[in-house]
Amino acid sequence: MWVANFIAAVIALVLGLAVIIFSFQLAYMSEYGPGPAFLPRWIGIGITACALVILAQVLRKNRKAEEFFKPGTRLGVKILIEIIITFLFFPVLGFSIALGIFTGVAMRTMGKHRWISCGLTAAVTAVSVHFLFGHYLDIPLPTGMIGF
Amino acid sequence: MDLLHNLHTGFSIALTWVNLFYCSVGVLVGQVIGVLPGIGAPTAIALLLPLTFAINPTSAIIMFAGIYYGVAYGGTITSVLINVPGESSTVMTCIDGYQMALKGRAGAALSIAAIGSWIAGTASVILLMTFAPALARFALRFGPSEYFSLALMAFGLLTVFGGGPPVRIILSTLLGLLIAVIGLDVVSGAPRFAFGIPQLLGGIDFIVVICGIFGVAEVFNSIEEPEETSLVKDKMHLRDLFLTWEEWVASRWAIVRGGVIGFFIGLIPAGGITTASFLAYLAEKRYSKHPERFGTGAIEGVAAPESANNSASISGFAPLLALGIPGSPTTAVMLAGFMMWGIRPGPLLFQTNPEMVWGLISSMYVGNFMLLLMNIFLIPAFVAMLRVPYSCLMGFIVIFASIGAFSVNNNLFDVWMMLGFGLLGYVMKKLEYPIVPLVLAMVLGRLAENSLRQALMISGGSLAIFFTRPFSLMFVIAAILAYLSPLIRWALRGRHRVDVTMT
Repeated sequence: MWVANFIAAVIALVLGLAVIIFSFQLAYMSEYGPGPAFLPRWIGIGITACALVILAQVLRKNRKAEEFFKPGTRLGVKILIEIIITFLFFPVLGFSIALGIFTGVAMRTMGKHRWISCGLTAAVTAVSVHFLFGHYLDIPLPTGMIGF
Repeated sequence: MDLLHNLHTGFSIALTWVNLFYCSVGVLVGQVIGVLPGIGAPTAIALLLPLTFAINPTSAIIMFAGIYYGVAYGGTITSVLINVPGESSTVMTCIDGYQMALKGRAGAALSIAAIGSWIAGTASVILLMTFAPALARFALRFGPSEYFSLALMAFGLLTVFGGGPPVRIILSTLLGLLIAVIGLDVVSGAPRFAFGIPQLLGGIDFIVVICGIFGVAEVFNSIEEPEETSLVKDKMHLRDLFLTWEEWVASRWAIVRGGVIGFFIGLIPAGGITTASFLAYLAEKRYSKHPERFGTGAIEGVAAPESANNSASISGFAPLLALGIPGSPTTAVMLAGFMMWGIRPGPLLFQTNPEMVWGLISSMYVGNFMLLLMNIFLIPAFVAMLRVPYSCLMGFIVIFASIGAFSVNNNLFDVWMMLGFGLLGYVMKKLEYPIVPLVLAMVLGRLAENSLRQALMISGGSLAIFFTRPFSLMFVIAAILAYLSPLIRWALRGRHRVDVTMT
């Protein structure tokens, strides 16, 4: 966890400095008062200051044995990959079908349910999403190549 | 007289079949969400926002309010029966509630939680009814300097109530402000941190952030660390729900004290219902003649925090409705909902939308009564819900989050951004960076910046405007004290330590 905290503090530090640098591309003051860079610059300064304090705290601490990754992290990564694949397939399959398939596959990945119940859940989910959001609520969900 | 007239108007709206339906849906969904792990009130409301496109805003806000105060009732069930708080606001209930369950008094614990919540909640609505319009009239005098100072005070109070190391709370607040400033600057029209991406020019929508940071992040956290639960196996009968006379005597004043503490904590921006229940429990323990009973199944230890959290969830509507300042993540999401429906909460809301405000307030009486009945008769059904596998629930959270993010601007870019915020929320929670300050800062960021710039334009760039107007000065002083509170606490602790060593 020490390494993770250290990396997070460094990222915050870089972010703070980047915000300060980018804010110099905008006007700090305008003829009407504070300009568009006014608040961002102070936010950047604040983030940098906080990051430095956290970094100092992290460096003063002893490295503990606590791990960032836990036994369940592997499962979390699998689900993340499934979500990313689902999102990538939105333009091809459409929202309803892609999210339906995701539900079934995620159930199988997480709960070791039988394929038949996962498939059934996927089908019911796809149809429900299509009718509830697409028809009843009129949200123009992307339909994909097969028009559903 | 005005109050009675307004209340009459409110009830005539709240008691229509449509609004009764949405109120009952809200409290039922709230209860279910409180029972189910890995999903909280802000997540639920954020995920349900797209569903309200087709609903009248008054009905929608009545439903959301029902979810908000219903969640605390639902969270109690898991706190008592499996020693796992369904919501952070019911953490304190675990301490004595679970002990009561182990002694075979789970029914009494659930009953006193429901009765206490109902009494305190109803009293809180009465106070809200009188307090919120007065606060709104008072806030009509506010100008940009007061609004900026108020936002500054809210950020400062997060340092006190934010639930984490102060420096991490401040960093989280600043990240929220940074997200809020992305997009076109409203005064000059200059793009800020958009990096040529057209979808970022309009700014990052609040719903996208909420769906990711609460919904998807919670999925990853729950998958990684599933909660170990052990349900109290004894079958519960209706007669178990009745309190003994001694139990009622022990808890009646705890309900009053908890309700009062909850009401005032709920009024403070960033106060929150968790803080209310925590303080009510501590106060009850300190006040008790037998503090040693706390932690072993004292019924006052259930009555006080439960009354406080319900009371605070209702009084939390006062700053939202009267000032347009949300006091908690849930009211922050509701503020986003108001904006989505084209309504701006604040002092003028009582004049421009009295039907909505009084309909909402009146619905709280109805909703609290529905919850009382549900908690007495439907507990076995809620207990059965604890058996819903997370593998099923998780899929639906992802579906609602994806569609919620997409529906804001109808583009896939927001869906990817939502996933990004989900990962950010997951890492923040894991590294113990509080998320609530980020959310509140994001909601209040634009208001704070616009007010700051307007105030400085009025004063010709002089900061004196924040110190010469009495209310603004008051808020600034409160903000400074709040920011300095960690240092003050540290200094007092140090002095105390010195005293101890010297004696």
